[in-house]
Amino acid sequence: MKDTLHLMAVYTRTTAKAWFQYRIDAVLRSLAVFLREATGIIVIWLTLMKFDTLNGWDIYEMFFLFSLLFLTYGIMIIFFTGLRDFGRTVRDGSFDRFILRPRGLLFQIVFANSDWFAAIGHGGLGLVLFLISAGKVGIKWDMFSVVYYIFTILGGVLIQGAVFLLLAALNIYLLQTDSLKAMIYWNMRKFAGYPISIFNKVIQIIMIYVMPFAFVNYFPAQYLLRKSDMAAYPKVYMYLTPIIGILMYLAAYLFWRFSIRFYKSSGN
Amino acid sequence: MINFEDVSKYNISKVTLSVPKGEVVGLIGTSGSGKTTLIKLACGLLAPESGKVWTLGKDPMRYRQRYASDISTFIAGIPLLDREDTVLQGFETISAVYRMPKDIFKHRYTELSERLGFSELSGRRVKDLSLGQKMRAELGAAFIYEPKLVLLDEPNVGLDENGKSALCDIIKEISSRGTAVLLTSHDMASVSRVCSRFAILDAGKLIFCGSMNNLQSRFMPINTITVKLGGSIPDLDDLPIRRFSLNGDTLTLEYASNHITAAEIMALLLKQTEIREISIHKPDLEQLILQKGGRK
Repeated sequence: MKDTLHLMAVYTRTTAKAWFQYRIDAVLRSLAVFLREATGIIVIWLTLMKFDTLNGWDIYEMFFLFSLLFLTYGIMIIFFTGLRDFGRTVRDGSFDRFILRPRGLLFQIVFANSDWFAAIGHGGLGLVLFLISAGKVGIKWDMFSVVYYIFTILGGVLIQGAVFLLLAALNIYLLQTDSLKAMIYWNMRKFAGYPISIFNKVIQIIMIYVMPFAFVNYFPAQYLLRKSDMAAYPKVYMYLTPIIGILMYLAAYLFWRFSIRFYKSSGN
Repeated sequence: MINFEDVSKYNISKVTLSVPKGEVVGLIGTSGSGKTTLIKLACGLLAPESGKVWTLGKDPMRYRQRYASDISTFIAGIPLLDREDTVLQGFETISAVYRMPKDIFKHRYTELSERLGFSELSGRRVKDLSLGQKMRAELGAAFIYEPKLVLLDEPNVGLDENGKSALCDIIKEISSRGTAVLLTSHDMASVSRVCSRFAILDAGKLIFCGSMNNLQSRFMPINTITVKLGGSIPDLDDLPIRRFSLNGDTLTLEYASNHITAAEIMALLLKQTEIREISIHKPDLEQLILQKGGRK
């Protein structure tokens, strides 16, 4: 246990040093991620200046909805960079190196690399949006809501982490899963900032049951905000985020454990 | 420490080879002959299609993680140091991964970095190093945690003479302490100093396995003697030579070294004629192995 914590500390220190080796570059690149993601938010803000609400959601409620998405991604990517970029992890030989070392394979992938720019860019934006909106959306921040909020964040991190882990495991069979990832993760994420009630049935079903972004932000936000469009969905969905996170991660982990037995190192 | 029993995989076919404790076995072959495949089979990155691989007495595919601290694998495509880290950071990570005590790590790092000549590079990032510098640091990383078995795939590439001899010294030292080493090279001469046995791979088949002396008697039978005659042309009918040719006063004889020695030939020639100059030529090993490979 002690030497595991020690190794985590060593990994974190060295990856931070590697990512921040060029200070100004690091600041600019984190800022670039922040601004890229913020552009979408600004567009919505400008739109809502004209329309006031989107299916009953005002601009601060929208900010709150978005903040969950960005905060969970910012935290998740600290741990799942090696799986998000799994193709590269295999190609540059890191995966073979991890296999030949006396530590857990997933442990090494998780801690040996972190995209700190994405973490700061997304996480920072999420934090800014949260700070702007949290006081203005009528949430009473008592112990229950704080605990609920923390479990929501953890669940959202696990849901997205599970998808990256699942795609990494699929990569072992398919060798290339970038376009699949673009399709089921990045494309669906574009919808995820909005209340899903504005979309047609197909997209709603995908967002709830296939790539369940709705549980990352929409349903938890509903618990805290109680908007009228929640009437279209079962009430229990507001409480499922941590459970779905744990179940999805567990399933992805089992599939990963099963799949790595089929991993073949390149033959040279 | 390693046993290959009738192993086939990709172009490797029915290879049987063992690497005992404290021995240094050189796996020699041209590129594409299957050297790296054998190394990957030994460390458990690949499973054989047929046959059995035993590494430290166990199936490496199943036990590679449990025995990882006892084995060190150096393969060009699998860098041991992260390219974004500095050399020292990379080594510190390895030290943490292999649970090395701090004082032992410091001592080993100082020793290896001085011997392999990368102590001045400690603060440099791996990606900023030249090929030769990177090889030195990577080799250091392969030896730092003192494993029982070391697998080195083409460890000589990019090393200068100092680097090569430092590497040889380190290999000799660890093998004298009981560590088994399996190393590959396409260049036999550069590893002949350090290997106690050679295994020669040709298009996936093991065509020879044994000591240098065995190798010479099997692969180097044909030597050439060239003499400048000072007298009459001798009668060569009784000599067990393969072929001769006469060009003016220069006589060239090709003979099988396991049938007759140069001294016997000279004695016979001197009985019949006078000789002004002699030169004896032994072909080098690699050329012969390549010829043999090409003939198939």
